[in-house]
Amino acid sequence: MSSNMSRATRLALALYPPSWRARYADEVHALVEQNKNSRRDVASLAWRALPAWIWPPAHLHDRPARMRASLSTGLLSWSFLTGLGLVFAQLTQFQGFRPAGHPVINASYLVFDVALALSAAAAGLGGLPLWLVMLRRAHRERRRRDVACLLLPLAAPAAFLAGLSITVRLVGGADGVSPWWFGIITLAGFGLAAAAAAGPGLAMRRLKPRGPALRLAATAGGVAAGASVVAAAASIVAVTGLSLWARGFAGYHHHVVPGIYLALVVLAAMVTAVSAARGARAATQRG
Amino acid sequence: MGDTLDRWADPSLLVLASLADEPKHGYAITQDVAQTMGVRLSAGTLYAVIARLEARGFIDPLPSDDRKRPYRITAAGAAELARQSERMSRVASLATERLQANLRWAAS
Repeated sequence: MSSNMSRATRLALALYPPSWRARYADEVHALVEQNKNSRRDVASLAWRALPAWIWPPAHLHDRPARMRASLSTGLLSWSFLTGLGLVFAQLTQFQGFRPAGHPVINASYLVFDVALALSAAAAGLGGLPLWLVMLRRAHRERRRRDVACLLLPLAAPAAFLAGLSITVRLVGGADGVSPWWFGIITLAGFGLAAAAAAGPGLAMRRLKPRGPALRLAATAGGVAAGASVVAAAASIVAVTGLSLWARGFAGYHHHVVPGIYLALVVLAAMVTAVSAARGARAATQRG
Repeated sequence: MGDTLDRWADPSLLVLASLADEPKHGYAITQDVAQTMGVRLSAGTLYAVIARLEARGFIDPLPSDDRKRPYRITAAGAAELARQSERMSRVASLATERLQANLRWAAS
């Protein structure tokens, strides 16, 4: 019973942020043991873990670590969200779905285009100095693995475009590729986007950059995330409208696929917004 | 010993009051607060309060050789405790005064 409660205490402590655990876990464990591992103690520990994440104590707050963690998570979810946006553009705007009498669709397309372009510009321009700082340091210290990780955002899109060009030439017809090939290309695109986003994240974990370039990237990440959430909202409006009004749109007849798509967009937008907001807050805090 | 307003007692003040006379570690704080004030602080509540008080500079951790780290109240913590005690004294005086007036009115 006691060892079960001791395990429960460890599990409850595992719910806390790493910095909190590093500072208080030993003391808490000693206290709970002296209290004979009471259930009330374990339950209160588990319950208090949530505020420790939402309002981390200021003296334990490692701002550069917070910015790096937010950037890594935000870059992955932002890439996924941007990929979903490109799939949306391919299946709606590029197919010419513009139902007459529903100006909201065209307005959504416009908002989507502007917001996505702004998001990509903010992410690219804001992240460039940090990327260059890390690349220079990795090159100077002969960290080949980190150099390779940092080059993934260039190599992965290039590989995707090359693969896409070859695939379309080999299997494409007058109307483009078949739905099966479209699915395969899309999955490959998401895989390469994940690799492109994970590369700088992994390099950041090892190189642990600090300073103005990191703050600029975290702040720009907040702007990019905000714009991509606007683009996501516009795509939700457009997909919903097309599912209701455009007979030629697949979602008009089968609501399951747009439903899955919208759920993925909402999930990715939430993760992107939360992680970017935490990173931007750490970047703009005084002191 | 406990009263019906236990859950409204501010745990931060209870911990500051417990540390006002001498440094104590977590278990000693919970025992002291339970014996003197009748409030049982759970581990989660106690360490949420300790983290908050430490972040505000109201308590300081002392070096320790084992897992039980003692804490002492700082000058800022003592000033805050004095300010809150003064406020509570005023509330207690006001409540006593008005209750006595109420009892006199009921008796007359």
